[in-house]
Amino acid sequence: MQDSGSNRPSLQVAPLALNRLNKGGTQQYPYKQSEMTPPQTPSSSQEDLSEDQGSPTFHNFLRAHYPFDNSALDDSNITMPLDRGDILMVHSIHTTGWADGTLLATGSRGWVPTNYCESYEPEEIRGLLHALINFWDLLRSPSVDDRELFSSQEYLRGMIAGIRHLLQRTNCLHKESSTVQRSDLVRRCRKEITSETSSLVRAARRMQELQHGTLDPPQDPNDICDEMVLKACQIVLKGVQLIDTLEEERRNRAPASVRVMDTVTEGSVASSFDLAQSLPLPLNRRLSSFSRPPTRTEPSPQGHRVSSSLSHRVSLAGPSSYTRPQFLVSERLSRSHDAFLSHIGSFIGRLSLQSQSCPELASAIKQCASSGSELLAVVDAVGTHSHSNCAALALARSILCERIHELVHAARDSLVQAASDEDLIMPHGNKELLMSATGCVRSAGDCIAKVRNAIERLGDFELVELESSGLDMDLSILDAAARTRERKQSHVGLSETASVAESTGTTGSRTPGPRHAHTPSLDKPLPEIPAMELSQEANPSPPPSRPESQHSQGSRLNSLPKLSTTLPPAATENSHDHEYLHSTRVDSMIASSAGSSATYLSRDSETSIVSQASTRATTPDHTLVPRPKPSVSELSATASSTLTEEVEEVESRLMEKTYVHELMFNKEGHVTGGSLPALVERLTTHEAAPDTVFLSTFYLTFRLFCTPTKLAETLIDRFDYVGDSPRMSGAVRLRVYNFFKGWLETHWRDETDREALVLILPFAEGRLSHALPAATGRRLVELAKRVSSGTCLVPRLVSSMGKTNTAIAQHIASDTPLPPPITSKTQQNALNAFKAGGYTPSILDIDPLELARQLTIKQMSIFSSIMPEELLAQKWMKNGGVETPHVKAMSSLTTGISNWVACTILYTEEIKKRAAVIKQWIKIANHCYELHNYDSLLAIMCTLQSTTISRLRKTWDLISTRRKDTLKPLQEVSDTSFNYKALRARLHEHVSPCLPFLGMYLTDLSFVEVGNPATRQMTHGSETGDQRASGLTVVNFDKHSLTAKIIGELQRFQIPYRLAEHADMQEWLSVQIDGVRESGKVNVQRENYRKSLALEPRETVPRTTLEPMPTPTPTPTTSRGDFFGWMTRERSQTNTPAPL
Amino acid sequence: MPARRLQPSREFHVVVLGAGGVGKSCLTAQFVHNEWVESYDPTIEDSYRTQLQVDGRQVVLEILDTAGTEQFVAMRDLYMKTGQGFLLVFSITSQASLEEIASLRDEIIRIKDDENVPIVIVGNKADLEENRQVPRARGFSVSQRWDAPYYESSARTRTNVEECFIDLCRQMLRQEDEGGADDSPTHKPEHSAYDSHKRRRRRRLRDGQRCVLL
Repeated sequence: MQDSGSNRPSLQVAPLALNRLNKGGTQQYPYKQSEMTPPQTPSSSQEDLSEDQGSPTFHNFLRAHYPFDNSALDDSNITMPLDRGDILMVHSIHTTGWADGTLLATGSRGWVPTNYCESYEPEEIRGLLHALINFWDLLRSPSVDDRELFSSQEYLRGMIAGIRHLLQRTNCLHKESSTVQRSDLVRRCRKEITSETSSLVRAARRMQELQHGTLDPPQDPNDICDEMVLKACQIVLKGVQLIDTLEEERRNRAPASVRVMDTVTEGSVASSFDLAQSLPLPLNRRLSSFSRPPTRTEPSPQGHRVSSSLSHRVSLAGPSSYTRPQFLVSERLSRSHDAFLSHIGSFIGRLSLQSQSCPELASAIKQCASSGSELLAVVDAVGTHSHSNCAALALARSILCERIHELVHAARDSLVQAASDEDLIMPHGNKELLMSATGCVRSAGDCIAKVRNAIERLGDFELVELESSGLDMDLSILDAAARTRERKQSHVGLSETASVAESTGTTGSRTPGPRHAHTPSLDKPLPEIPAMELSQEANPSPPPSRPESQHSQGSRLNSLPKLSTTLPPAATENSHDHEYLHSTRVDSMIASSAGSSATYLSRDSETSIVSQASTRATTPDHTLVPRPKPSVSELSATASSTLTEEVEEVESRLMEKTYVHELMFNKEGHVTGGSLPALVERLTTHEAAPDTVFLSTFYLTFRLFCTPTKLAETLIDRFDYVGDSPRMSGAVRLRVYNFFKGWLETHWRDETDREALVLILPFAEGRLSHALPAATGRRLVELAKRVSSGTCLVPRLVSSMGKTNTAIAQHIASDTPLPPPITSKTQQNALNAFKAGGYTPSILDIDPLELARQLTIKQMSIFSSIMPEELLAQKWMKNGGVETPHVKAMSSLTTGISNWVACTILYTEEIKKRAAVIKQWIKIANHCYELHNYDSLLAIMCTLQSTTISRLRKTWDLISTRRKDTLKPLQEVSDTSFNYKALRARLHEHVSPCLPFLGMYLTDLSFVEVGNPATRQMTHGSETGDQRASGLTVVNFDKHSLTAKIIGELQRFQIPYRLAEHADMQEWLSVQIDGVRESGKVNVQRENYRKSLALEPRETVPRTTLEPMPTPTPTPTTSRGDFFGWMTRERSQTNTPAPL
Repeated sequence: MPARRLQPSREFHVVVLGAGGVGKSCLTAQFVHNEWVESYDPTIEDSYRTQLQVDGRQVVLEILDTAGTEQFVAMRDLYMKTGQGFLLVFSITSQASLEEIASLRDEIIRIKDDENVPIVIVGNKADLEENRQVPRARGFSVSQRWDAPYYESSARTRTNVEECFIDLCRQMLRQEDEGGADDSPTHKPEHSAYDSHKRRRRRRLRDGQRCVLL
């Protein structure tokens, strides 16, 4: 608790300048010029932020720091209004600083200015926030298979673990804990959380039933989905509320000097004055006191005042909140006081503008008056309770009342005057207004101090219903004056809203923000918004049509807003036009320039693409209405009241020990990271059998991120701690046993895993046998003993990755007859002669198809025996490939084939015969292509295309164009550009039998290895330095998933061809290929090139490098004067291999 | 081509070569890896394509790095043929890796049949100073001899990663500006090749010290 207050980056506003590209190359990034500074923040806390500008910040959650009123914007249909304290989930952030976010309280989605917000993720709730993101992604992602997802309640675990974490961190996990017992409010918050959770669980259960077709009556799954998302949001909001409440209680326990109010009010008046004089008021001083540890006794009362009032504001998070503190009279007093001050402040702020329209002024005054009247009502309520101090209080109250009257009249006068001569009220006429406004503030402060004194004497009491307004005057006089000009409301509003926010920020509160005052039509008398709101909350009326409202909400959630605007400029009027213009231009530039994810900060690339598209659109999409507040809160309130037994269930679920919060997921719901205990938990969930891909990935790669001993330990620990939750211990323990069994049976690697046996054996003999039927324990002991004796239980070739039984059955129908080898009599004779040690048949003596087949068999036998372990951690690159015999054999065979091809061509002296050899190889390559043997194909093609062979122009001239044309598709496939695009595309559609090019997989695996770090930080989105340090380091499971995916892809093809081996030809092949390999040439390529030059010398006059080398290094001058030049050059270089 | 949008951007093929284990794939991954992509999947088409600006000009780089396939010696010819510029990477902790790039360079010049093919020499793992086997001066002298800039980089600390690619781009752009003069040297009269070479050297000198110290 203590450090959370200071930890919370309350002054950090989400990304302002999103130039992550400030690093090295100035010339590197094309978007440099499109950077723009977003409009000024309403507060001048810009200094605080400026240092942050360079570093990238994407915050998943924002909390509104200022109310944002979008009604004056052109884009009010795509932007969202904000109340102070609102929590937003961010989907993407545009460079202009607008964020596409979802308001948790309502679920509505729209654009909001990030400079009105601050990042929100206190440590306690971080897990829950993160879980909400995952939950959201999971339920909203189109790529998730609903049937699979909803068949169990597995996907709820993240949320539940998040809640658990929150309660644990706030000391509220147990109902009996002192924190909960001490305070009613906390108890209530906690109860709300659990009841919301139980209704979430209930919705999930309905979904489950729906999937099984047993739900009666059936519901639209989308409705339930929406409901669950909303519930999840509600849970988070309640969590926020809990934190706020605790925070506040902590503050309340601090020394109570907060109550001294007189001087304080002076302070705020003075600052309001400041505000009127010079707009950019240094705010950070006051704001920073927010995060000051409240235990410190602060000499300056101002600091206390601010911190206390802010904490009140914070406690009122979210529109749906209706908690007890609101009903305490002291709370209501300070709330209404804050509201009043904020309205007056915003009004004063407006006055300082050069001009403003009449309706704006009228509505501002009305806000002031209404909040003033609410304040008076509270004062009255206190007055009726207390009798002793009535006189002083009554006096103060009447002064305040009078001041408000003055203000309203002054406003009316100036409105009337404005109506008569000009549209805009000029600043010089504002002096009177200013005077009365500051008078209001002062007298209000006075009055509040008196009331607080009274409350202190009386003791705090609850106040639910408010009497009607204490201010009896007809505000419609203002409307009368304003109405005439109403139509001409100019879009000065743009700058105004910002300034409203600014001044509200100083004294601001979330209670009736300007937005509320704007919504009612200006023609009607001012409604008593706050009072009405309160009574509504007190008696929640059931919503008329629940499914409908849910549905409409869902559709709103799905529709993406489009935006082509900039933040409302906060500057003064004269600069605003220019700035607006400028920023729009920049905006369109971004849209038209080559957009990359660098332009956007987004949680994932998918969204960023979407938002990119949406920003390009120039016409605003009208589907998004500015949120009419749906009745979610009421809904949940009514729904959750009856579910006591489900609450109990949730309670028990919350008690379960879990590591789910240490898992990370991607959009598809796959695990991308997690601590070892969390991964093990995932492997052994009670609800569903583990995902097979996850399981086999784990079996294959676990040695890369933990030791076998550690794994065994963790598994045993899992076995033990699940015993506390009888609900699932049986299933989980069986899964733990199954994991051990699978490990010992098929995935055991004695050389590394043996060390774990000392743990596994006693476990199997002891605890396992006790907890599960004795047979399981015996079986495990038996297995363990067998592996320890060194016998491999299952032939290692059968590896589970990628090979399903169906795949094998499909492609190797064992009854299909093998194609008979094609060998003519002469060919067979030639081979026989070779066998007898006589004449060695040349390549031309063998049938090309049969040669391709035999090559394929030869290669496939090696390829099929590649073990998955050989492909891990770039082992084939280490120690000369000792640990990876098959990978090594495969690469040397492929290279051998290439060299053999070159030799057969180059060592055929007669040109016609040489052309025939090339032709023969083209035929063989074609057959390889047809056999889907891409490894041989590439081996042959790389030689045919190499400079050594392709430069033999005269030889190639003897080959028919038709023959050469058949090379084209082969060339395409063997083209390495675009990351083997052509080859990948072909492999993708192939089923075995097929022999892919091993090198491609090796490259992929290498890059997965070096391109992905071994661990991930659980930062839950925010990337600020200190937070990163505080995050949990977990296994980057995503990296291993990628590795396993590639290996699985490779294993998909480890299925032998149905071809008959021709023993004689195999032998001949080996001799041919090995013959080249063992010819003792140091550099076959160079040797071959030399031969090639000898066959067909250079045609043109060779160039001679005449220029002397600038340094007297003993480099041999490379002379190419004659075509024997290579000889001198080559020789000298071979003799001195490293003239460096 | 997705890369061609507003201004005609040039597309270059760069081949990264070096012995196994010198960390050249780290270098490539560092360079093409967009930090905002949480996981790096090298199996997709765009994995090795990147866009950058060199001296105000838009360049698309298609990088061919055949890490992990060093044993497939015969394939090298095929890889090299596609390249227009070459990053020769060795490790400053391995003398043998420097010798390896010497033979790679010979092969490149043979295959491209061009002495002036754009090359950048990169001494990687510069963060492992305590294990250094190749003195910096050695690197410089090779650089002078080959008339190719020398960088000492570290993929781990992200030092000089972008710089070496950018330098290579500059060389390729320059060569292209010369009207592809170096593309078909075999058909050129002798003096032209000589001139072009000389011109290039002059420019090199004017550019000043090409070797970059850390």
